[in-house]
Amino acid sequence: MAEAPALPSASTAPPPEALYLHVPFCRSICPYCDFVVVAGRAARGPGSRVGRFAEALRTEIALRADLLDRSHPDRPPLRSVYLGGGTPSLLSPAEVGATLGLVADRLGIASGAEVTLEANPGPDERGDLAGFRAAGVTRLSIGAQSLEPAELRALGRRHHPEDVAESVRAARRAGIGSIGIDLLLGIPGQDAASWRRTVEAALALGTDHLSLYHLTLDDPDEEGLTGPLGDHLPLRPGARRWRERARRLQDDDRTAELDALAEPLLAGAGFQRYEIANLARPGHASVHNRAYWERRPVLAAGPGAHAFDGIATRSWNAAPLDPWLAALRPPDGGPPALPPGDRIVLGPDEIRSEAAILGLRLSAGIGPGLTDDPVLAPVLAWGRAEGLLAAAGDRLHLTARGRLLSNELFLRLLP
Amino acid sequence: MATIPQARLRNFSIIAHVDHGKSTLADRILELTHAIDARQMTSQVLDSMDLEREKGITIKARAVRLEYAARDGQIYGINLIDTPGHVDFSYEVSRSLQACEGAVLVVDAAQGIEAQTLANVHLALALGLVIVPVINKIDLPSAQPEVVIEELENVLAIPREEVILVSAKEGRNIDQVLEAIVERIPPPKGDPDAPLRGLIFDSHYDAYKGVVAYVRLAEGTLHQREVVRLMASGVTGEILELGVFRPQLVPVERLGPGEVGYVATGLKSVRDCQVGDTMTAAARSAGAPLPGYKQAKALVFAGIYPVNGPDYPLLRDALEKLHLNDASISYEPESSVALGFGFRCGFLGLLHMEIIQERLEREFDLDLIASAPSVEYRVELTNGRGTITVDNPSRLPGPSDIEQIGEPWVKLNIITPSTYIGTLMELATQRRGTFVTIDYLDSTRVVMRFELPLAEVIVDFFDQLKSRTKGYASMDYEEIGYRPGNLVKLDVLVNAEPVDALSLIVHRDNARSVGLSLVEKLRELIPRQMFEVPVQAAIGSNVIARETIRAMRKNVLAKCYGGDITRKRKLLEKQKEGKSRMKRVGSVEIPQEAFLAVLRTGDGG
Repeated sequence: MAEAPALPSASTAPPPEALYLHVPFCRSICPYCDFVVVAGRAARGPGSRVGRFAEALRTEIALRADLLDRSHPDRPPLRSVYLGGGTPSLLSPAEVGATLGLVADRLGIASGAEVTLEANPGPDERGDLAGFRAAGVTRLSIGAQSLEPAELRALGRRHHPEDVAESVRAARRAGIGSIGIDLLLGIPGQDAASWRRTVEAALALGTDHLSLYHLTLDDPDEEGLTGPLGDHLPLRPGARRWRERARRLQDDDRTAELDALAEPLLAGAGFQRYEIANLARPGHASVHNRAYWERRPVLAAGPGAHAFDGIATRSWNAAPLDPWLAALRPPDGGPPALPPGDRIVLGPDEIRSEAAILGLRLSAGIGPGLTDDPVLAPVLAWGRAEGLLAAAGDRLHLTARGRLLSNELFLRLLP
Repeated sequence: MATIPQARLRNFSIIAHVDHGKSTLADRILELTHAIDARQMTSQVLDSMDLEREKGITIKARAVRLEYAARDGQIYGINLIDTPGHVDFSYEVSRSLQACEGAVLVVDAAQGIEAQTLANVHLALALGLVIVPVINKIDLPSAQPEVVIEELENVLAIPREEVILVSAKEGRNIDQVLEAIVERIPPPKGDPDAPLRGLIFDSHYDAYKGVVAYVRLAEGTLHQREVVRLMASGVTGEILELGVFRPQLVPVERLGPGEVGYVATGLKSVRDCQVGDTMTAAARSAGAPLPGYKQAKALVFAGIYPVNGPDYPLLRDALEKLHLNDASISYEPESSVALGFGFRCGFLGLLHMEIIQERLEREFDLDLIASAPSVEYRVELTNGRGTITVDNPSRLPGPSDIEQIGEPWVKLNIITPSTYIGTLMELATQRRGTFVTIDYLDSTRVVMRFELPLAEVIVDFFDQLKSRTKGYASMDYEEIGYRPGNLVKLDVLVNAEPVDALSLIVHRDNARSVGLSLVEKLRELIPRQMFEVPVQAAIGSNVIARETIRAMRKNVLAKCYGGDITRKRKLLEKQKEGKSRMKRVGSVEIPQEAFLAVLRTGDGG
């Protein structure tokens, strides 16, 4: 990994290695979710905008490819394409195929590249997995969240634990080579026994990748992320009430205990933690996920999607669906334009701090270029003294304690 | 503006309890005299400080010049000098009253007279002011003007025929108040031809005009372009502008005896123009200055520290500037092991302390930490080594050096509906008070008198009083000197390190209960750290209470929203911001509120 925070100018920005496509439709909206999502009539039935959306998404990909053709005429093909959501499995295999076809045509998809599709496990939302495989999907990420019926109900999920098992079996039958599921810790009502059952059931499914997220219930409105150019949608009043109630039932100590409890079970089943919240069997660590932590250039399309130039510029599309559609498919039939959005350009101090924080999220940690940086040195020394960091050769990585208390270290690494 | 002869000038203040309608009455008077156009009318016109509008109180005295066409066909010049109502600001009140010949006493028709109002009326009477009694809010269904008239008669010997019944809200009978001001209040005395003497009662700095001094002329006449001298500072300056408050500044040609106005002299520093100084003419100087103001006596002391050590010089400058505007605060440098370098400040009371801290933070953009407030103790040392004063508990000498500790006591007057006598007796007794007398104001209301240690009053006595009487009782207190007390120093140790800024002086009998509730409160207020933190209260080396703040187990952001790194960073920045407002003591981060935990321990009532 080349991590030295050298400061090349934007003109020397490298070409993207990965592409994120945001598909904002869901059958229903879960009250804890902060992703850009629309549901109800926009997502299904005669008024569905899914078809128009898919066309517009391809228009955005084409516009972004046009720009790259000028800035980086000779560029290697993508190493990863990620269809996230929302529920991308609500797209038909034909739409997925057409979209990936365009990506391959305009941006290139390397042989052996990772092509991930996020799916919800419910029978009416997981879609035609064989069709997706045929369309080019190589990796499926299933939003299981829990394998306990009561916890799924508490989260407002539509599916049942057996739907997760069925989704995994269907994916295997379809020949999808890498399958992962997401699980949540800190669900209201979750205890050691229910968490253990979920982890054991998840391991019994024989998946290749596990994401274990601590359920964090923040308020994107309070954080100022929901303006016209914001990358989040305003929180619905019902969701806000749900979060307030759920927060009162959460207990950080218990969540920390659950986290510790899972560790030996996961290791025993051959999973290796490669990032704070992500584990995989050898060879199945997500290429796309790692691209974020390694600060690699990522192209993005779809409402609320985030891109990075690999150096200093983080840009995003605004979250609201209508303005996004209106830009790409103008109602008056005019020429399409890139959708509204915003960007920030990081300064040298911010780049250094971000590289350290993101690098330390990975088990591989950070190496020379950051470990010997004089600005970071006092904080890194503090982290070692506090038992948050450990050294391996010339690299530093989070300890088990450091992983759970990582924010304490990271906030001190901010400029 | 027309010049009005001295005989037709009237200067008055309004004395009223909080919420009895002083500001509404002032607004109506301003309207009726066309000082303010109804369209520009915002409520609480005179309370221009943000804090005043937010808290619904008047902090600083203010003046406004009105012109009133009376029934006798003459135009009168009336100066309304606004006063603060809270007990902490009786110092400002006495200043305002000194500038008047009369006071309008406003009493709520439903609530009756309150303790502070009573105290302020006595102050006004002592200064020889004419009282114009007004009963407000007669529009309320619960109004009992008859009962209140009787109360005024019984308590203040105010003849019932002098009382004016008004509704400031509805604008009823406001003209009668103005007529009474004109008829009953005498014009200011003072020889217009004597050498000039004007008392400076406030000032502000204007970017164009320089220092603008607010003066009340005792004698002589001030003219445009005259060269004036400030008798204490010795500074001279030519008058660039002279005017009155309407309430915005309106220039005039001259000001005569008894008039209140402003003088812009082009002085560059507020320091050269101190409140209480006397302004005279450079050409014909007065022989002696006016008596000036009595130095306000600080009753409550606390350390004020910058959260960020390097802000110390900014805090020093801010205190210096604020002191020029509010001479009632005192400050001197001190240092604390826990908090670094700061200032020990003296305040008139807890509300004053809170307001000064807020003004420092808002007007000077500082993040501050205040230590637990204390009164000033007199400590007699052993072996006849004399007596020292201690206003900082951490500076209390060791037990073997102390012969005796004296603490300030106050006489406390409470006016309350008689149904609350029992609970207030209990409260005062819990606070080491002794009961003195009780008198009935009328069939349902009483004045209770107690003597209590001041230290017991400053903490949360007022809040307790209000909560135990559903807000119906009011209080007022004055110092009555020092008495010996069986007092000990209670130290607080956080993570085994003493935190000097949390030390308290308490009565030995209460030490244990105060210690227990203090450490419990601190356990709630100090956020969990990455390690277990014991919090102890101790007298000397004897630990009397202990709580443990458990170690933080997790602080992690797991989810990455579709590559949204910026949100992650914002969340981290928010946490960092929270930490930057805390003070690091040893290896523990302590938030500002914790240093005032002692104020919240209460007695559960």
